[in-house]
Amino acid sequence: MKMKWLRNILGKLEPEFKNGGRLEKLAPIFEATDTILFSTDERTESGPHIRDSVDIKRVMILVVISLIPCYIFGAINVGYQKSLTYGLSTSWIDNLATGFIAILPIIAVTFISGAFWELLFGVVRKHPISEGFLVTCALIPLTLPPSIPLWQVAVATSFGIVIGKEIFGGVGMNIFNPALMARAFLYFTYPADISGDKVWALAPDGYSGPTALSIPAGKINENAINLLDRASSELIFDFSWINMFMGWIPGSIGETNKWLILIGALFLTYIGITSWRIMLGSVVGMTIMALITNVLAPYSSNTMLTIPPHYHLVMGSFMFGTVFMATEPVTASHTDIGRWIYGILIGMLTVIIRSINPAYPEGIMLAVLLMNAFSPLIDYFVVQKNIKNRLARYAQ
Amino acid sequence: MKKIIIKKGHDLKIKGSPENQISSPITVDKVALSPNVFRGIKPKLIVNEGDTVNLGSPLFYDKLKPDVKWASPACGTVTSIEYGQRRVIKKIEIAIEEDKVDSFDVLSDSQFNSANREAILDYILNANLFPLIRQRPFNKVANPTDLPRDIFISGYNTAPLSVDIPTIIEDNRESFQVGLNALNKLTDGKVYLTSKNHMEFDNVVNQMISGPHPAGNVGIQIHHIKPLKPGQIIWTVNAQHVLTIGRLFQKGFYDPRIKVSIGGSGATNPQVVDTIFGANVKSLLKNQDLEESHRIVSGDILTGVKVETDDYLGFYDTSLSLINDNVKRPFLGMLSIGSSSTKYSLTNTFFSSRSGNFDFTTSQNGELRAMVPINSWEKVLPMDILPNPLYRAILAQDIEEMEQLGIWECDDEDFALCSFACPSKINVGSVIREGLSLLEREG
Repeated sequence: MKMKWLRNILGKLEPEFKNGGRLEKLAPIFEATDTILFSTDERTESGPHIRDSVDIKRVMILVVISLIPCYIFGAINVGYQKSLTYGLSTSWIDNLATGFIAILPIIAVTFISGAFWELLFGVVRKHPISEGFLVTCALIPLTLPPSIPLWQVAVATSFGIVIGKEIFGGVGMNIFNPALMARAFLYFTYPADISGDKVWALAPDGYSGPTALSIPAGKINENAINLLDRASSELIFDFSWINMFMGWIPGSIGETNKWLILIGALFLTYIGITSWRIMLGSVVGMTIMALITNVLAPYSSNTMLTIPPHYHLVMGSFMFGTVFMATEPVTASHTDIGRWIYGILIGMLTVIIRSINPAYPEGIMLAVLLMNAFSPLIDYFVVQKNIKNRLARYAQ
Repeated sequence: MKKIIIKKGHDLKIKGSPENQISSPITVDKVALSPNVFRGIKPKLIVNEGDTVNLGSPLFYDKLKPDVKWASPACGTVTSIEYGQRRVIKKIEIAIEEDKVDSFDVLSDSQFNSANREAILDYILNANLFPLIRQRPFNKVANPTDLPRDIFISGYNTAPLSVDIPTIIEDNRESFQVGLNALNKLTDGKVYLTSKNHMEFDNVVNQMISGPHPAGNVGIQIHHIKPLKPGQIIWTVNAQHVLTIGRLFQKGFYDPRIKVSIGGSGATNPQVVDTIFGANVKSLLKNQDLEESHRIVSGDILTGVKVETDDYLGFYDTSLSLINDNVKRPFLGMLSIGSSSTKYSLTNTFFSSRSGNFDFTTSQNGELRAMVPINSWEKVLPMDILPNPLYRAILAQDIEEMEQLGIWECDDEDFALCSFACPSKINVGSVIREGLSLLEREG
């Protein structure tokens, strides 16, 4: 594609944004636009004179691309759940259209508010516009219920970008995953709109659309699978394992379809930008902890303890959080051994939070945020081990 | 001894590799030495503009170690001495005229065998060839008053577009052996010669090693064979320079011949040439059609320096690369699918196979960003060093932590592939060099 005319326009505009130009202050915005449209022609100054073709733009855009299937299925499922609660039978294309109309405003509000803060901080603090906000903004809508008020989306995105990222100095410096910060903010500030049974499907007023996790949560002396089976026969939703894996259940927009998340995980691992150690570690940790709770279940009245590992896997956001949230490279551990520990602890913590505290049935959000805080400590121990080994070698 | 197999790293496949290792001689009319490129010395000139010098006579010396002098690689007239800012000596140019040499008495076999360390060291110092020996840590000209723990010579080259070291060693076995014998006298430890296949030489420990680049780097080899501990000093000598030292003892004078590879996509005739130390770039590129815009790099493409046609080959450099400097700006390049001819990445973020020889450009392929740790550095650093914490410790100027994390064993050339692979376009090698300088200044 020859886009010479556009290149010429940008070329003409460039001096205005350079040192001494009239729009010098807006340079980061011009630079971002210019380099997103046309790859940079920046050259190496010294050795190595040649560089790998990959850059942060490419890394970030591929993460966004890996989320697109979740968006498409999410839209179909939102439409499907809506028609289910209205008692309609609609084709998947109708569902897609309905769902698309429902989630498009959420996506638009997220990106507009995200871009606003990113550009503002870029200009004020004179740092380049970071492509990382694209990923943050692509993740946020997927973690939200389709019924979320748009103003809350804007507030949460602003919180995630500003408090979660920019005050630390931008991408690469942040301590907590900004997308999860946004969701946690909503969770604690406006719990009525992001928890309970009423929000997960675009249902008629008063209609209840529980998530798989909220069914056993808080119940006493029951078996979780029995409860899910009973819910499936009493309600219009199907909470069988396979249906939860396929994703035709109420829930946040992007979390329900597990096999698309799995494909996303394989894709990100294949292209080599995400740590499979974290993902696998999280599943291993979840399995170990779930087996422990299963063993303890007979001694407790807590129904959540009876959920077997393979059900934990497909209930709630466990997989979405494991694949797309826990693996965020900046806030995760930076060493390979650290990544294993970090992942395993996230999996274990998720089950613990889900089981022990029924007020927060979605455990992975808090588990990842908590481990974000601890990842530097994990790395510290890994680094100390490396140092110790070296000192031992020096002593020989 | 067990062969060391290195797994991490990558052999870059670059267009224009000199396949045919048979060298052809090139006549050179000018040579030069650049005192300002040697780390940690205070150069003081011995010659003035207009002086005539013999092959091997000293051009300058190091005020900090006055015994260490640099030999003229040719006989002729000093045509110009170029100064840079703060009067650093950038270049001493010599127009080659006659072939008068400074020569010394050749030691007989019995003299050589009974010679002690002092005698051999003085011979090399007097011939003004001591700067051929470098030291670790800091990768700088060695200090003749140090007694090195060991001496390392890499007979295994993995750097892209380089000359084939084993061929050169095999073709000059005798001189190489003499060089090894001399070096063996300079240390109480061992002389290690690394190679991919077994090499039969006396007075040397042959360690077989294999793996992708940077396995051929002497720093990586030291790390795997016998790591450098703080306070220790190891000397390293380039295999071609072992020949130079060997010939000095064989002939009694400085033989400045050296083989240099000329490659890269801009080289119309990739080849190995027979030339001399400090040869001028224009002469070296005689057989190439320089049409398009190309960057000329003296030294390895990963660690070398940018030069122009009227510049000279670096003192330690044995290759000259021509890289495409014509950087295009594709529309929506970040969304491109990519192909083996347009993209080369150690990640699988493009549909490119890294199989064919790639026409690299000097493009940085992206803008500088904060570090996003996706293990790109770790995958190409075959050392038990955590690059990311080390990088942070250097930025924080925390010398104690840098030492704990193993900076004594590091050199920027070993981190060049990390910089190549980094998606954030961070020049890891130059940060390592900053850390080493800090350590040297204050440690």
